[in-house]
Amino acid sequence: MVNISVKNVTKIFKSKNNNVIALDNINLKIESGEAFGIVGPSGAGKTTLMRIIAGLDVPTSGEVLFDEKVVSKDGKILVPPEKRNIGMVFQNWALYPNLTAFENIAFPLRNQKLPEDEIRRKVQEIAEILGISHVLSHYPRELSGGQQQRVAIARALVKSPSILVLDEPFSNLDTALRDSARALVKKLQEKFKVTTLIVSHDPADIFSIASRAAVLVNGKIEQLGSPIEIYNNPVSLQVAKLVGEIVTGKGVVTSVDGKKVIKCGNLIFQPVLENSINESEEVEFGLRPEDVKIAKDSKLEGFELAGKVVVKVSSYSGGVFKIVVSPLENEEIELYALSDMPMKEGEVVNLFYRKEKIKVFLKNYYLKKTELQS
Amino acid sequence: MESNKYIRLGPIAKAVLKEIVIIILIIIWLVPIYAMIINGFKSNTAVVTSKALIPTLPLTFSAYQEAWTVLNGPLLNSLSLIVPVSILSTFLGALGAYYLNGLTRSFNSRYRVLGNIIFVLVALGTFIPYQATLMPLAILMASLNLLGSYGGLLLSYLTFYLPTGALLMSVFIAVVPSYLIEAAKLDGASDFSIFFKVVLPVSLPGFISTLIFIFIESWNNFFLPLVLVTNPSSELVSVGVRYFTGGFGTLYNASFAAAVIASFIPLIIFIFLGRYFIRGILALGSGGKA
Amino acid sequence: MANKSVLFVIPVLFFSGLLIYLILWNLYYSFTDWSVINPVPKFVGFETYLTTITSSTFIDSLLHSLEISVIMVIAGNIIGLLLAGLLFSIKSNSYRIAIMSIFVYPLTISMAANGLIFLWLFNPIIGINWILGLLHLPQPAWLAQDTIYSIILIMLWAYSGLSMLFYLASFMNIDKSIIEAAYIDGANYFRIFRKILIPNSMNGFIISTALLFLFSFRVFTLPYIITGGPINYYAETLLTYQYYLFDSSYFAQSSVVDTIVVAIALAVVVPYALLGMKRWVYGE
Repeated sequence: MVNISVKNVTKIFKSKNNNVIALDNINLKIESGEAFGIVGPSGAGKTTLMRIIAGLDVPTSGEVLFDEKVVSKDGKILVPPEKRNIGMVFQNWALYPNLTAFENIAFPLRNQKLPEDEIRRKVQEIAEILGISHVLSHYPRELSGGQQQRVAIARALVKSPSILVLDEPFSNLDTALRDSARALVKKLQEKFKVTTLIVSHDPADIFSIASRAAVLVNGKIEQLGSPIEIYNNPVSLQVAKLVGEIVTGKGVVTSVDGKKVIKCGNLIFQPVLENSINESEEVEFGLRPEDVKIAKDSKLEGFELAGKVVVKVSSYSGGVFKIVVSPLENEEIELYALSDMPMKEGEVVNLFYRKEKIKVFLKNYYLKKTELQS
Repeated sequence: MESNKYIRLGPIAKAVLKEIVIIILIIIWLVPIYAMIINGFKSNTAVVTSKALIPTLPLTFSAYQEAWTVLNGPLLNSLSLIVPVSILSTFLGALGAYYLNGLTRSFNSRYRVLGNIIFVLVALGTFIPYQATLMPLAILMASLNLLGSYGGLLLSYLTFYLPTGALLMSVFIAVVPSYLIEAAKLDGASDFSIFFKVVLPVSLPGFISTLIFIFIESWNNFFLPLVLVTNPSSELVSVGVRYFTGGFGTLYNASFAAAVIASFIPLIIFIFLGRYFIRGILALGSGGKA
Repeated sequence: MANKSVLFVIPVLFFSGLLIYLILWNLYYSFTDWSVINPVPKFVGFETYLTTITSSTFIDSLLHSLEISVIMVIAGNIIGLLLAGLLFSIKSNSYRIAIMSIFVYPLTISMAANGLIFLWLFNPIIGINWILGLLHLPQPAWLAQDTIYSIILIMLWAYSGLSMLFYLASFMNIDKSIIEAAYIDGANYFRIFRKILIPNSMNGFIISTALLFLFSFRVFTLPYIITGGPINYYAETLLTYQYYLFDSSYFAQSSVVDTIVVAIALAVVVPYALLGMKRWVYGE
C-alpha cells in the first residue's frame, strides 16, 4: 500500500479570456491504507485534484509523490497513469461497451500478460466478493446501474492496486441503492486495506467511508480532519453547509447579565464563546437540525430555551416534518426545525437549542469555543 | 396575427403541393440514371433514333455484351486496386488519427503544436486538387520505374486517399469518450492495445463510413488512372468508359451500358450502405471538427 | 506519447510529406523553362509565369474556373438550402432518408459516367430538348457555346445534395424546443424557415461553401468527357488546361498553372482547416 503526498500543487487552466485557478497551493498527505475523502461543491477543484493524483492531468506547479517518489511535478508527468497501479472507479463507470463484464474486469490483467487460468481465477474471485458472478457474460448495456458499478469496482480492485480512487461513485445510482453501495465499498476498503481516495459532493459518501477528509472550496483546502470533527467544528459557515444540513440565522452580540449572548429578534442564544467577540458585532449562527427543537413545553431536557416563535410553513421531506418558524416579534427572520409531527400555521411554540452545539461565525469564520462554562 | 402574404391554402392543399414539388424534384434527379438504364437496353439503331427518355421494346443486350467485353478486365483491375486502397487508407489513416488525437490531448505544448501541424497537413492532402500534383508524381514514379506498375499505382492512390482517411477517422475518433481511453490507460494498456481493443471497436461505424466513402471516391477517380496507367491491360473501369464517347461526341448504346458497368458497384454499395456514405460526407464537411 | 506508438503516424507522415514534396517540386519547376522545346530545364525566374499567365487560353481557363466555382457556390448553396428546407419539413424519418438518398446518389456515380449520359441527354434532337419542346420551354444549345453552363448544370445536379446534407445537419442541431415554440406561436413553416432555420445555419453555410468551392474548383473529368478531349475553348478550366500543357510536354508551364491552382486552393483550405481545428482543440 502506498502513501500519497501532495505538495504545493497549483493548477491553472488557461483560456483566451481569463485564467481559472482550479487548485491553489494544495498540501495533503494521505497515509498508506487510509480512506481519505475530498468533499466540496461542484467546480471546487476536487475532480481536478483527483485527476492530477491519478496522472490524468498535470499540476501547473507543485509535486505529487507516491511513497516519497515524485510522480508528477511542475507541468510534467514523470510516471504515466498506466504505471501508477491505480484502480479508478469513474463517475459513469467507464466500462468498455464492446466487452463483456468478464472481459472488462479481466482487461487490466490481460495488459499485465498474466496466464489465462490465473486471469480467470482472479476475475471469478473478485466477482464473487462483489456478487456479480452471474452477470459476467453480459455486456454493460444489459446490466443495471448497480451491477455496472460493481463491475467497475471489480475492474478497479482485481489488479490489487496500490491506490483506489472513487469519483462520485454513487451519484449515478438510485438513492435506494446508495446505502448498500456505500457499505460495500467500506467493507472492501477494510478488507483490502488499500489506500483509498473518495471524491464526492455528497457528505454522506464521505461519512460512510472516509476516516479523514479535506473540504475543498474554490481550489483551497478549507478544513482537514475526520468527518465528525468537521461536522461538529466546521471552520466556516460554508464548510458547515457542505458537510451537512444546518439551520442558520443572523444575530447581534449583546450583553445580558454580564454574559455575551446573541440576539436574533426576540430569541436569545447563549453560546460558549471566547471573549474575543465584541458587543454589537454582527454574527451568523448555525445549529445542526438535531440540535434544534420546537415544542409547546416550557422546558426540554438537555436544551436551552431561546424564545417564542410562530409557525410559518410546515412541510414534509425525507421522513420528517420541516417547520419554518419566525421569532414572534420579527416575522422577516426565518429559521427552521425538524419535527416528527406536523404543526399548524400560526401556532406559537418555543424554540430550544443545545447550548454546547451552537456554532457562531464571525464574518464567515468559526469562533472557537472555550471549555464549557458552568 | 400578421396578414399572410402568401395565398391562403388549406392544410390538405399544402400537403398535396409539397408532395408534387417533391415528386417533380425526384423525377428531375432520377432522369440521368433512368436514361442510363433504359438506353443500355436499346439496340444501336433504336438508341440513335428514339428519344433518350423513352424506353423501347424489345430489350436488347447487345450493348451490354459489347461494353462488357471491353470493360470486364478494367472492372477486375479496379476491384483489385481500389479494395486495398480503401482498406489501407482507412486503416493506416485511423492509426494516424489515433496518434493525432493523443497529441492534441497531450500536456506538453510542443506535442500539441505538432498535432496541429500534422492536422493541417492532413487537411491539405484531403482538399488540395490532386490533379495539380500529378505531373511531379508521374515523373517521380517514372524515375523510380514504378510508373504503370501495381505498386506505383497503389502508392499514388494512397498519397491522396490516406490523408482523407486520416481526416475522417480523426473526426470519428475524437468522439470516442475520453474516459474510456483514460480508464484503459489506468488499466495499464499500451497504445496498441487501446487502439485495437477500445478505440477501433467503439468507432467501428465511423471506420465503415470512412471505408465506404473512400471506396466510392477512389473507384470513381478518373484523372489518376488517366495519367498513371500506361499499360492498356491495367486500365481501370473509371477511365475505360471514355472509349465510348467516340471522340467527337458520337455515342451509341454501349455508352450507356458502359456507364452502368462502371457505376453499378458504387451504386449497390450506396443502396445498401448509404447511411455510412452520408456519415462520411458529413464528417468530411466538419473539416476535422468533431 | 513519443514512444513506440509513433509507428502509428508514420504512414500519414510519409504520404503527407510526399504531398508537400510534390507541391514544392511544382513550385521549383515553375521557375524553369522546361518544355518540349527545352528538354534540359534552366532557371528563368518569372519568365514562364509571364508567358503562361498572359496566354489567352490561360486567361480563359482561369475565368472559366472562377466562373464555375462562383456560380456553383452561390447556386449550390441556394439549391442545397431549399432542398434542406423541404426535407426538414418531412415528418417521417424513413421517407426523409429515402428522398435524401435521391439527392445524394449522383455522388456515387463517376463523373465520367455522368458525362457520358449527359452528352446524350443534351443532344439537341433526342435529348431532353424534346421534352422541353413539348412543354414549350426554351431549348438551349447545350453543347455549343452554352457548354460551360451545361457543365455547371450537371455539377449542380451532382453537388447540390452535398450542400443539402450540411444544411440539414445544421437544422437538426437547432434546439427543437425553439421550433416547437414557434409553431405554438402560430408561425407557419415558411416563417420558421426564414426566421429560425436560415439564421441558425451559419455552420452549414461555411462548410457548404468551402466544399462546393473545392469540389467545383477541381473539376476535370466532366469538361474532359463532355468536350471529348483535353482542349475545348468553351469549357477549358485551369485543371484541364494544366493537363493539356502536361500532355503536350510544356512541363514548366504546367507547373505554373499547378502552383496557381494550389495557391488558390490553399487560400480556401487553410483558413477552413484552422477554423475547424480551433473548434476541435478548444472544444465546442
